[in-house]
Amino acid sequence: MLSRRDFVLTCGGGGCALAAGVSAGSVLLAPGRALAKNAPRAFPARFWKKLPQKRIECGLCPKHCKVEDRERGFCGVRENRDGEYFTLVWGQPCAIHLDPIEKKPLFHFLPGSSAFSIATAGCNLECKCCQNWDISQSKPEDADFRFMPPDEVVRQAKDYGACVTFTYSEPIVFLEYCIDTAMAARKAGVRASMVTGGSGEAEPMQEVLKHLDAVKVDLKGFTEDYYQRMCKGKLEPVLKTLEVIRASGVWLELVHLCIPGQNDSEAEIRNMCRWVKGHLGADVPVHFTRFHPEYQMKNVAPTPNATLIRCREIAMAEGLHFVYTGNVPGLDGESTICPLCNKAVVVRRGFEMDELHIKNGRCEFCGNTIPGIWS
Amino acid sequence: MAGDANSSDRRRFLQALGGAALAVAGCGSSCGSGRSAERRSDVGAVVAKGEPAHPTATEKPRVVVVRTKKSLTQGYDADRGALRTMLEAGLVALSGQKNTAAALARYVRPGERVGLKINGLAGRNAATHVELVDELSALLGKSDIDGEHQIAFDRFTSDLTASGYSSKPRGRGYRCVGNDEAGHEEELVQMPSSASRLSRVLTAQVDGVVNLPVLKQHMLSGMTGALKNNFGCIHNPNKMHIDNCDPYIAEVNAVPQIRSKQRLVIMDALRPVVDNGPSYQPGMGEVANLLLFATDLVAVDTVALGILEDLRGQRELPPLAKLGLAPTYLATSSKLGLGVSDRAGIEVITLDV
Repeated sequence: MLSRRDFVLTCGGGGCALAAGVSAGSVLLAPGRALAKNAPRAFPARFWKKLPQKRIECGLCPKHCKVEDRERGFCGVRENRDGEYFTLVWGQPCAIHLDPIEKKPLFHFLPGSSAFSIATAGCNLECKCCQNWDISQSKPEDADFRFMPPDEVVRQAKDYGACVTFTYSEPIVFLEYCIDTAMAARKAGVRASMVTGGSGEAEPMQEVLKHLDAVKVDLKGFTEDYYQRMCKGKLEPVLKTLEVIRASGVWLELVHLCIPGQNDSEAEIRNMCRWVKGHLGADVPVHFTRFHPEYQMKNVAPTPNATLIRCREIAMAEGLHFVYTGNVPGLDGESTICPLCNKAVVVRRGFEMDELHIKNGRCEFCGNTIPGIWS
Repeated sequence: MAGDANSSDRRRFLQALGGAALAVAGCGSSCGSGRSAERRSDVGAVVAKGEPAHPTATEKPRVVVVRTKKSLTQGYDADRGALRTMLEAGLVALSGQKNTAAALARYVRPGERVGLKINGLAGRNAATHVELVDELSALLGKSDIDGEHQIAFDRFTSDLTASGYSSKPRGRGYRCVGNDEAGHEEELVQMPSSASRLSRVLTAQVDGVVNLPVLKQHMLSGMTGALKNNFGCIHNPNKMHIDNCDPYIAEVNAVPQIRSKQRLVIMDALRPVVDNGPSYQPGMGEVANLLLFATDLVAVDTVALGILEDLRGQRELPPLAKLGLAPTYLATSSKLGLGVSDRAGIEVITLDV
């Protein structure tokens, strides 16, 4: 098992990492068996229906791609073959890393632990700011994938004493793999979490949620215009997904990547926080994280610290209990503060946890319940 | 706070586009093989020094429609002799030259590496006819473009194979390779609405491209022809099929590395797919026995759209616009300066052979 100390040493401090891309603060792992390039294996997909003339309609996400024979949907990883739909990424991750759980970020879920993080190629969005575009915007053939069936993922995660996390690209597009792996993880006593854009249909989301312990959703903006213009997606289905997750009882945290001039206006932040409080509750943690110029947005400057601080202030003024800043190690807003006694119950810097003052889910100082999964 | 990312992207894109057009128009001997003091028109023909470019900025772009009454297709096989005749007639008419060799010399130079961008994704029934590419390859061979300097390409090797294209050299003929095998450039090409990695066949293995699309109705873009065929030059066409592929088709074709290599379009309309495309559906292929020739991708698609709508009308199928599938990307392409989408602004020559 890789200890937390070993991990930090391997990472070179971890806390110095700024971006949340695949490699920042991660230990690159290369288990599994390398497959020849250009040869993704096809496995039967779920969540689709047949249409006339060998077409199919995918039901995995709100795009509901109508896919011709021999074609793929928007995600690029699900293919119609003679009127049957297949996933080309089941068991074939192209990124396998050991991360601090704080990198996801999940701050109320096993702090200080490690996340055995896997991703396949493909995504059902195309965010102009994507930090992992090299895999999320690729087809399986373009990614250096390996064959790693669910049992192997769980075995490796267990060896590292980590939870399994589906992350980096968009787990919704490899949902069958997520479901099978999360089921295997639960059977083996290993926890499973997901980092997603939340652009999924209710039925498949409910299916995977049965087997998950925590989900972090990127709430990328709070206007339809933003989602359409910047992500080739829609806001409304994401909000529905958030309610589905909350109703499932699976632990939920939100991240809002603040992009200067795009989604960081006071009105948008305030509206978002009001919606979160009203529909999800004040205890859902919200992270405001710093944007780093990437992909199609290399011409936009990183988020000023002042913006993150201001967003956090707005969220707290709107009554959210757990509001964080992210991707700026040392900036105020990384630690968990007990809403009752105002003392720091989890002290963090970057991806590092320095102190934990929560016992049996309660603040050590005042006994207040701190929502989350702490052990 | 930074400025508007989109408008900034658009500015950079248009600057690059303008720069590329200038570079191509004035590239002189630095283009292609660079063996002679020749120049290219903005897109398409290679023109010998002293001759007018075809078309010039003030001339209408020319589209040649060659048709035959011969029974060209048997199942999905096509008559090679008839195709050769059509090819020769079309090339001569398009170029205004006296013979095929002189005509081809307008578009490709001896020793250049020529990409044959076929549409191979729908299998043998609805891909660019192998016989057409074989015959073109033979003509290129006679114009000192050896088979080893000809590469037929599209997205996947498996698609090429399924469409009847071998991945091995066809005797002394051309090679066939999928982008999945050749790979894509690491560097992203930025467009206003998206970003892509380009096929290494396009960027590194060919000097110019003969665009060989198939005319088909398309359930997402309305129609697929020469412009959409260039989706096969990028790694992520799956991201660009939303909103009737508009403005994505136009923006991809405006990418300088793609645009500058377009030399010639020969559209396979032997048996267009008139409905429920782009995959092949039994009964949806309409024998038309047509080949279209052009250097203006927008113009040839505009003419092809008229043909497609006519064929649909004969079957009492509704106009594409009524289905919400008007190929609006044609007008967008025209606005980006890629060619002419106004039918009245196109010179159409129809030949019967």
